[in-house]
Amino acid sequence: MIHTNGSPTATETPVVIDVNGLSVYYSEKQALKGISAKIHDNKVTTLIGPSGCGKSTFLRTLNRMNDRIPGFRIEGDIKISGKNPYGKGTDLLALRRNVGMVFQKPNPFPMTIYENIALGPKMHYGIKGKQLDDAVEQALREAALWEEVKDDYKKKNGLNLSGGQQQRLCIARMLAVRPEIILMDEPCSALDPISTAKVEELIKQLAGDHTLLVVTHNLQQAERISDYTAFFMFGELVEHGHSATIFGEPSHQSTQDYVSGRFG
Amino acid sequence: MTSLVYASGGVIVGIILAIAYYLTHESTYAFDRKFDFGYRFALQPIKGEFEDLDIDPNATLLTANREGMDELDEKEEGVPFPTIESLAGVAKFGTGSPQASTLSNAIPEETFKDHWKGMKRADRSTKFLLFGFATPEYKDPKMALAWSPDAAFDPNLTPFDLKLKLVQSPAGVKTDPIEIDLRKQKTGRIELPTFVARTDEDRQKGYVFELVATPTMSHNVAVLAGTMRSEWDGTLAYPRFGIVPLIVGTLILTIIAVLIATPFSIGAAVYLSEIAPNRVREWLKPLVELLASVPTVVLGYFGLMLLAPFLGNTLAAAVGLESGRALLTAAIMMAVLLFPTITSFAEDALQAVPQSMRDGGEALGLTAREKLKKIILPAAKGGIISAVILGIARAIGETMIVWILSGGTPFLPSFASPKDAVANLMKPMKGVPDAIAIEMGNVDFEGVHYGHLFLLGLVLFIITLAINTIGQRMAKKVAWRS
Ligand SMILES: Nc1ncnc2c1ncn2[C@@H]1O[C@H](COP(=O)(O)OP(=O)(O)OP(=O)(O)O)[C@@H](O)[C@H]1O
Ligand SMILES: [Mg+2]
Repeated sequence: MIHTNGSPTATETPVVIDVNGLSVYYSEKQALKGISAKIHDNKVTTLIGPSGCGKSTFLRTLNRMNDRIPGFRIEGDIKISGKNPYGKGTDLLALRRNVGMVFQKPNPFPMTIYENIALGPKMHYGIKGKQLDDAVEQALREAALWEEVKDDYKKKNGLNLSGGQQQRLCIARMLAVRPEIILMDEPCSALDPISTAKVEELIKQLAGDHTLLVVTHNLQQAERISDYTAFFMFGELVEHGHSATIFGEPSHQSTQDYVSGRFG
Repeated sequence: MTSLVYASGGVIVGIILAIAYYLTHESTYAFDRKFDFGYRFALQPIKGEFEDLDIDPNATLLTANREGMDELDEKEEGVPFPTIESLAGVAKFGTGSPQASTLSNAIPEETFKDHWKGMKRADRSTKFLLFGFATPEYKDPKMALAWSPDAAFDPNLTPFDLKLKLVQSPAGVKTDPIEIDLRKQKTGRIELPTFVARTDEDRQKGYVFELVATPTMSHNVAVLAGTMRSEWDGTLAYPRFGIVPLIVGTLILTIIAVLIATPFSIGAAVYLSEIAPNRVREWLKPLVELLASVPTVVLGYFGLMLLAPFLGNTLAAAVGLESGRALLTAAIMMAVLLFPTITSFAEDALQAVPQSMRDGGEALGLTAREKLKKIILPAAKGGIISAVILGIARAIGETMIVWILSGGTPFLPSFASPKDAVANLMKPMKGVPDAIAIEMGNVDFEGVHYGHLFLLGLVLFIITLAINTIGQRMAKKVAWRS
């Protein structure tokens, strides 16, 4: 059963991610059951739903982060910016350039802040020297980390930052590759409220020229930051629409239960 | 419960202290080291016979320290001053050394003997007298006094100045004063006008020489200098306990073994952790760990049966050496021993790199190779260094493989020519732990040799401790926090 009541119509911003009848299996286990969704350009879409309902699976499937998991297999159709990421001859590097990802647990690499950020642009765009320095600085500014690290970002190990700073470093690292689409899997769940506020602010700013898909368990956060919300349950996309609708007058009882805290 | 923890902690601390005390205490026997000097003197016809005084039956040995001889019964030790009658038809010359060190106290009938003395501390001087005469059978107007160090005695290694002086000439014979520095003229012959003793009373009226041994340094300095020497041989009549070649041997062996093992180990660890499919890994990892439990004597045996003959016929032959039991052979088998240890720990370190970090690399578009190079290896660096250091510690302490495969001769590398440098690899060596294991069985437990073996143990202990500490520090420094 696919429910797309209240799904945004084509009159809004163009669709960048078009998923049709997506099912995902881990060996015998089916984690996603026939998901269809259209994700709109330059908007924030939050994915909500109880634990284990397949939000992370959905996100990771989009940029092929699950390929290495034994038994992983998909059915159905995905189009990102018009291309099937699972199609033959897919340029994985181009996919990663187009789709950036931020994880629940901050995961800086064991190297300096500068090197953390420089890694992506160096590889994807082959830039060096001043150009690279500028790209790093710009990414740090965009991630609102510049002021805090500008004195020692070329020396300090990324692992020696605080948790919140680490997460912003990871966002900067992702931004430095200039993706159009940004996937965030519970980006604030390991952060304190102040860091969370900073990241939320960042998400709103990025929404201007990026398409964001953000998984969160924090419903207030979802309401605050998103234009659209998708509610997952038991591997199904129950409801997908304007956040105002989902949190205001959802058309499904289960959605209603979940957003009002009666489920979970 | 807590008291149990304290008790076991106390026991452990106690044991460590006891070991430390024991090691330092027992190694003081090394500082009891007594020094030796041994010279042979003989009167000879002017046309010399017995160039090698060690086989001249009539030579007199003036020596301190023939280990083990100092406890001989006085009577057994006594070598009477040869009488003219006893020499008739046997030898043309007689020499003898009175036990007394002053001329007036020398009584021919009682006190002549070879000087089988106890060992001398390096800070005591000693004086010997040497009487010499020709029998009436010797007709030449000239005779010679020859001297040379006793077999295996090296004057350069003794902390004494050794001087030979003429203190009495026969009545009516005019000789220039003779004073010879034996450290500068280790062997030699001087010509003298013949003195013939016709009666037993005459024997003492001829030439009398004096050998004076004067210490050149304090006892402890002498011991330390001896310990830092480049020769280790406790079986010599004049034993040498320079620990340097053993330590150098162990260190070089360890370095080579670790250099051989580490690339393979890291490669294997990377394969196991990052490349191998789960099913392969599940089989391979326990297999590698099983390898680590192969008794080292078995590795030694394999080395002896397979590797030593092979290297003996190839590399050793190429550099002009015969035996395959050598540094490289031991190092290769040691590397075989280290491989599973380092691999296993390095694999653990790689496994400990969190999935989140790998995901981060993946999401950034890094290829497997770049992920490995830029993220996983740097993140696991601390653990990998610890693995290698564990390997080093293991190699330093390993006994059996070295014992079986190293050839057992103390080793000092030589770099005189490129060929020499390569030949070093095929030279036999002896390491610290195997020296202790082999030699501990037949030493006097309150002796100098034993003391030096303990000193070696102490050095080994300190080196391992230092390496472990440095390793821990380094591992900590580069470790990442999760
Ligand atoms: N690597 C995996 N192998 C097998 N099953 C998996 C794997 N990852 C996830 N699953 C299963 O797929 C289902 C969906 O998991 P997923 O992680 O996508 O849920 P989620 O919605 O992100 O949950 P949470 O909110 O707790 O993060 C779960 O039942 C989970 O057990
Ligand atoms: Mg999840």
